[in-house]
Amino acid sequence: MNIKLPELKIGELIAKIPIIQGGMGVGISRSGLASAVANEGGIGVISSVGLGVVQSTTSKKDRAANLNALRYEIREVKKKTNGIVGINIMVALSDYDDLVKIAIEEKADILFLGAGMPLKIPGGIDLDTLRKQTTKIGVIVSSARAASLIFRTWSRKFNHVPDAVVVEGPEAGGHLGFSREQLEDKKQTLENILPAVIEMIKPFEEQFGKKIPIIAGGGIFTGEDIYKIMELGADGVQMGTRFVATHECDASPAFKQQYVDCTKEDIVIIDSPLGLPGRAIANTYLKDVMKGKKIPFSCPWKCLRTCDYKTAPYCIAEALTNACVGLMDHGFAFSGSNAYLIDTIVSVKELIETLIAEFTAAAEKALQLEPELNPTVSHT
Amino acid sequence: MDIAAKVREIIVREMDVNESEVTDKAKFIEDLGADSLDQVELIMEFEKEFDLEIEDTDAEKLTTVGAAITFLKSKLEK
Ligand SMILES: Cc1cc2nc3c(=O)[nH]c(=O)nc-3n(C[C@H](O)[C@H](O)[C@H](O)COP(=O)(O)O)c2cc1C
Repeated sequence: MNIKLPELKIGELIAKIPIIQGGMGVGISRSGLASAVANEGGIGVISSVGLGVVQSTTSKKDRAANLNALRYEIREVKKKTNGIVGINIMVALSDYDDLVKIAIEEKADILFLGAGMPLKIPGGIDLDTLRKQTTKIGVIVSSARAASLIFRTWSRKFNHVPDAVVVEGPEAGGHLGFSREQLEDKKQTLENILPAVIEMIKPFEEQFGKKIPIIAGGGIFTGEDIYKIMELGADGVQMGTRFVATHECDASPAFKQQYVDCTKEDIVIIDSPLGLPGRAIANTYLKDVMKGKKIPFSCPWKCLRTCDYKTAPYCIAEALTNACVGLMDHGFAFSGSNAYLIDTIVSVKELIETLIAEFTAAAEKALQLEPELNPTVSHT
Repeated sequence: MDIAAKVREIIVREMDVNESEVTDKAKFIEDLGADSLDQVELIMEFEKEFDLEIEDTDAEKLTTVGAAITFLKSKLEK
């Protein structure tokens, strides 16, 4: 008996394995990591935030540098893989519209829009283009309510709905779509939120005559986790933390080392200048900031629409860029709640092989216990 | 159409609050307990009920019941 991970279909895009490597900024997932994941049959995602600064040696910090850098990364990734690559774009970015436009121009396979509510047609593209373009659109949400608002708005205004939904639960790394109170609430779990989103999306699948895959993320660590969440109805998973701890990840070795070294207690919730809570590893820099220390900075172009840069105690873009390039005394690393479980850096290939083997083992075990119950796995 | 009454009716329905709380001065966040999704929802309901478009830049300014009524009146009575 051989139980395989199913494919993930998003419109005509077919990923051989239903694993999306979540976009990770600043600079953590670029063409290196994204192409490695895509080459293994998953979906690799480039994070579009702050690419201009991380990538350039001239440290040009303007808008144009950012846009050019995204164009460059998409061209690079296409040289490295024929697999599926997405671009993660945060709605809260002040160059959101331009980034969306460039990603579509460069024919990215799919965009993942998050950190804010994508309620407008992005990027000054017109309705016709939106319906006809080959680039798929996925939206990242943290509740059925947010999914409902987005889908009702798109349906009413554009007579068109997104092609995929990523449900990001409270255990994820980076900025979180939950308030601090919600993060304390034991009922707010990915396992509870996912079925509500699936129910919410169903009528839109019927109305628009297309399958809208629902992808679950936040705290997924092993192949068994993948199996369990897919049993709850997810069509795939989005994973971040595990992919940071790979050789191909585009962050510096010092950044990855924080994942290897951290303990459970080191992983904390912070209030990001973006206006959302975030999860990160508390190093000396972050502990100082949490104690109220201010790190002076000059804001070159207000990269976040939602940032109150005059009162922000530090510049989040600067701190994350420094961390990416390895200046850990001048920045900090975002991470999921499970980062403390990381004890070594592996290749993307090894990671995916492990996940597949663990998935199969979990599926076979379940099948032995209850042979008649097995909706998600395919048997060959 | 009594725009003010309609606006209040939408707010009572969407926010699940008492009519008596929906005074002109009531702030959506502080007084009526709205979160960011409620605000998006309200704007959407206004757009639907009054068949108009509200730009983000305008939406941001509609922090009180009174501000919403004044804004919608000015749009609709043009
Ligand atoms: C270092 C780091 C950076 C991240 N940056 C982004 C980002 O720029 N945009 C975004 O939508 N999500 C971001 N995320 C969230 C991931 O895409 C993913 O959804 C999440 O990490 C999944 O949870 P996991 O880390 O427990 O697997 C980030 C996560 C991490 C760990």
